[in-house]
Amino acid sequence: MEQSLDTGTPKPAPTLDRSMGEDGYYTFVDGVGHIPRDIYKHVQSDPRGDLPRYSIHIVIQHLLIFITFILLAATGLPIFFSDLFWAKHLIDLFGGIDIARWVHRICAFIMMFTSIYHVVTVVGGTIVKLLRHEFDYKRTQIPRLKDLQDFFHDIKYFLGIEPFRPKMEKFMYKQKLHYMAVFYGSFVLMTAGSALLFPDIVAKSIPGLIGKVLPHWVVGNDSYSAFFQDLVRLMHADEAVLALIVLAFWHWMNVHFVPGRFPLQWAFLTGRITREHQIEEHFLEYLNNLREIPEEREYMRDLLKELSLAPREQPASDTILASELSRIH
Amino acid sequence: MALLMVPLWALTAQAADKMNCLMCHKHRYIGRIDANGKLHNYNVDETMYRHTVHRNIDCHDCHTYITKIPHDPVTQTVNCANSCHIKPPFSQETFSHQHIMTIFNGSAHGRTPEDSDRMRAAKPDCIFCHQNPLYSKISEENLPEAEALRRCQNCHPQGGVIQAFQHIAHRLRKKTTRAPQQIVALCAKCHQDSERMLQLGASPRAAEAVESYNHSIHGKLVRLGSKKAADCISCHASSALHDIYKKDNPKASINKANIAQTCRQCHAKTGDWFIDIAVHPSPIHKDNPIIYLMSLFLQLATYGTVISMVGLMLFETFGRRREGIRLILFNGSSWHRPNKHARPKRG
Repeated sequence: MEQSLDTGTPKPAPTLDRSMGEDGYYTFVDGVGHIPRDIYKHVQSDPRGDLPRYSIHIVIQHLLIFITFILLAATGLPIFFSDLFWAKHLIDLFGGIDIARWVHRICAFIMMFTSIYHVVTVVGGTIVKLLRHEFDYKRTQIPRLKDLQDFFHDIKYFLGIEPFRPKMEKFMYKQKLHYMAVFYGSFVLMTAGSALLFPDIVAKSIPGLIGKVLPHWVVGNDSYSAFFQDLVRLMHADEAVLALIVLAFWHWMNVHFVPGRFPLQWAFLTGRITREHQIEEHFLEYLNNLREIPEEREYMRDLLKELSLAPREQPASDTILASELSRIH
Repeated sequence: MALLMVPLWALTAQAADKMNCLMCHKHRYIGRIDANGKLHNYNVDETMYRHTVHRNIDCHDCHTYITKIPHDPVTQTVNCANSCHIKPPFSQETFSHQHIMTIFNGSAHGRTPEDSDRMRAAKPDCIFCHQNPLYSKISEENLPEAEALRRCQNCHPQGGVIQAFQHIAHRLRKKTTRAPQQIVALCAKCHQDSERMLQLGASPRAAEAVESYNHSIHGKLVRLGSKKAADCISCHASSALHDIYKKDNPKASINKANIAQTCRQCHAKTGDWFIDIAVHPSPIHKDNPIIYLMSLFLQLATYGTVISMVGLMLFETFGRRREGIRLILFNGSSWHRPNKHARPKRG
């Protein structure tokens, strides 16, 4: 508590264990120096981003999904809420419902194309990295137990129990959760939307498909196709409303409006993340950046020098390190 | 030139009125207050009347019970099955709506001897839907040519009428129909009162037909102004429009045997299995417990997700603000630094 209230300078390491351990205050990087955990309060940051985060493919995919999602919501929502006063006006912006339905279908097609493009990018990129022996699953969206630990650690930090945020990889727990939700949501929306667009194919194939699995009491008085189509009508609409509410009330706010990101996080356009943000929320990825980008290493070394945390002789053992540290502080 | 002009003017300006009914009925306030205190207005506006479909029909052709002028108080209503003095093209018989009346009387709306008094009173007659549009303005829609020609045959079954119409095709531009929204509103006038429908012996599903239609994609599209989506009579009647039957009647367009054909009017390439899908979906999914529970679950998921995510975001901001982060519009860095290049204190 006391430590976190004083924001002026990096904190000295309380003990040797805490300073150099996995959760330690200092992280030693060869050729750079001892990086304090809260160095993010002291770095220079360009709002447009300092460090690479997304490839051009991801930026293009995000833009395509972003634009098509808004158009899909604008043409789909009035149909769901057709009895509300604004529905007709919103539809008339597209030139009437008969045109708006086509806009919806074309956007859905582009979104599906983008999803395939994304899967191809991710799988292809993984294969390339595997071939180069560069693949590290920790830098991907694959969920790990550490994410759960990070979550509880973060909660403790917000409550003031822990002094610093967890050291997280390129994707943190809420990003992984959101990514999985988008995967699930797009799957539901695309399946259900296709079923709504091609009811004939559904009616032909569904009794044979789910009729063998589901007992008949589940569908009640209806046929299997009627049951499935009713389910699909429900899922498409409700899942879309869920996605829209999450995006409007959480994603945008969380990405652009919280302090540190306000007024706009440029990452979705430039594909680059600010240094401050990278160190705060993706510390382990920042260490990767230091390893991969010589300029960044140079910048950090100069900063540490300025803060009198410049690299010293590499300690031969823990005892030397302890004496070194006690001499510095 | 003047000789040519006069008949043209006469043709458009005058309604057929051989008995000179308008002598009295042209007066604006001609009317009567009945025993219940209700005002009946008997005014006929000639300007309006001469733009209606019946402009060439003499008053007496429909109001046959009027035999002298001034006439006695009217107790009868008009009968649309009367023959009037119009002779349709290619025919020497006088014109009558008898043909369509026969179809109508055989439909679910026609009165039958088995009907209870209540049912008889509830069933509509011709003028319930078709007021000669004197005072109620109907916004009219243009009908595709093929459909308009099929409708002509409802009243003009004689051969050659279609050819004659195609010959004078400019008339087709004047052939109109009600907007789908108005057709839905017209049927809903009675059919959305589900209690009354249940009392009249409708099945629970039929009683909520209007509600379930409004929840269907057809209903929603019609409400949003679609010209293509199906309204009530698109499915429940053929192009004769009045042949609405209950679905167990083999003549009904929605009978099991005919419904696939009915769907194919729009969904041209669908197979016979298409009819399995409910076109009037139950509005609140109360029919099927699984779907109802799914709907409940999805609603909870929506609220749960949003509240927990936004809650986490606010909590996170609260925690980070304690450590000194600030909302800053410019300069791109949000941590409070008294002196950016300050040396760290020696510990």
